[in-house]
Amino acid sequence: MSPALATALEGAAKIAFVWGVVLGAVLPNLIWVERRMAGLIQDRPGPNRVGPFGLLQAIADILKMFMKEDVVPMYADRLLHTIAPLILLVPAMTTFAVIPFGSSIHLFGRDIPLVIADVNIGILYVFALTSIGIYGLVLAGWASNNKFALMGGLRSSAQVISYELAMGIAAISVLLAAGSLRLTKVVEYQASGTFLGFLPLWNCFPQALGCMIFVVSAFAETNRLPFDLPEAEAELVAGYHTEYSAFRFGMFFMAEYLNLIAASAMMATLYFGGWSLPGLHPTGILGGVISIAVFAAKTGFFIFLFVWVRWTLPRFRFDQLMNLGWKVFLPLSLLNLIVTGALVLWGVV
Amino acid sequence: MPALSGELVVFGFASFLALAFALLMVVQKTPVRSVLSLVVTFFGLSVLAILLAAPFIAALQIFVYAGAILVLFLFVIMLLNLKEETADKDDRPVQRTLGLLVALALGGLLAGATLRAPVPPRGPLTGPRIPMPDEIPALGRLLFSDYLFAFEVLSLLLLVAAVGALLLSKRRFE
Repeated sequence: MSPALATALEGAAKIAFVWGVVLGAVLPNLIWVERRMAGLIQDRPGPNRVGPFGLLQAIADILKMFMKEDVVPMYADRLLHTIAPLILLVPAMTTFAVIPFGSSIHLFGRDIPLVIADVNIGILYVFALTSIGIYGLVLAGWASNNKFALMGGLRSSAQVISYELAMGIAAISVLLAAGSLRLTKVVEYQASGTFLGFLPLWNCFPQALGCMIFVVSAFAETNRLPFDLPEAEAELVAGYHTEYSAFRFGMFFMAEYLNLIAASAMMATLYFGGWSLPGLHPTGILGGVISIAVFAAKTGFFIFLFVWVRWTLPRFRFDQLMNLGWKVFLPLSLLNLIVTGALVLWGVV
Repeated sequence: MPALSGELVVFGFASFLALAFALLMVVQKTPVRSVLSLVVTFFGLSVLAILLAAPFIAALQIFVYAGAILVLFLFVIMLLNLKEETADKDDRPVQRTLGLLVALALGGLLAGATLRAPVPPRGPLTGPRIPMPDEIPALGRLLFSDYLFAFEVLSLLLLVAAVGALLLSKRRFE
């Protein structure tokens, strides 16, 4: 087998693995977890009729969406109304390409790094894609020819710009410490030593402030409660996707959960050491599998956090959201950058 | 005529996208669609940057221009609820003629310069190496050493623009 063919096969296998796990296993179960958790927190059973413990509820929902009629409102911008969910969904599906989900596995005489594309612009790639996804929301709101939807789209554009800035500056501190935009390098750096002698060198310790800003901003970026103002069903019917039905609505639904998974994976990678664990030096096939399990556990924790927060906190008002972004998070993220710069300069991290 | 390689196909496609959608942006009547056409143009340019082995520039192009600046444009257009432009009557004939003349002159200049530029020799490139994609730290070092003056002047320019915008909007409210 020629080296080019082997590389192509390796890439295809990794893409199949990541999409298989994310779309086939995590996504449907996440919908179930979200609804059951909601039931638990609100002291009611939640979906428990379809399949054992209601586990097949997600499949029933997806089937229902396939069967329903795809309605395009009169006087809507047909072209943009049709492609808006795609603009949101495609970046959500491609973010996973640069996130390292394990160390590396030695198979068939090849060292296979467990990341689809180890590009040197890793962090920027993720930010670029998430910022493109916003067009899906904004255009859905605009193309629907509905005032509620328009308000939702308008809110999402303002919200994302406000939070992307603080989030980006927090991420700059991470790459300042790691010295590279490559996500594999960021993970290797965090696995490489200790902080203050007894803590792992995970960025969440020296950059606790930046980590907090990143996590909260991720809630705003993924439009999750307490920052789901583009949707805000209590004020805007269903916000940007008011005029969507059937599988186009399903695509928005899918994209929201994919973004949630990607954001959780990014938090685990940037601030919590990715696949690394102190004292764990994965070697061989078993080591590779363990590193994947560690990464999955960390990502799973943040997914759980997203769901937990959604059913716990009430929604912010829009002016509170903007104030928090511009007047609190932006200065704090700059402070975090300066502190991290000093730590790097004095060789603490 | 160079041989048809994959690179050439991608180059042709990306350039066509960039040019076609730049044209669409100008002739489009709906402002929102104009902004979207510009987004596609930026995508084309970013593919060209990747072909030049500069993924950093490509990612910045998408992140900064498409992801931040044009979203702001879209926000303002939607906030002001700009509808389709109506074909207004030509109330500024002088400006219109002048604009056309300047555009033609610039186009002629560019075409002339392109035609007279020396054709690069075939084969692998020689000469000084510019920082390669994996050398983002090298790029940063250059910006803060050799090009420090230009860098600082540019940031000052941006600051002036921000202060100016604030001043203008404040004056209107008073």
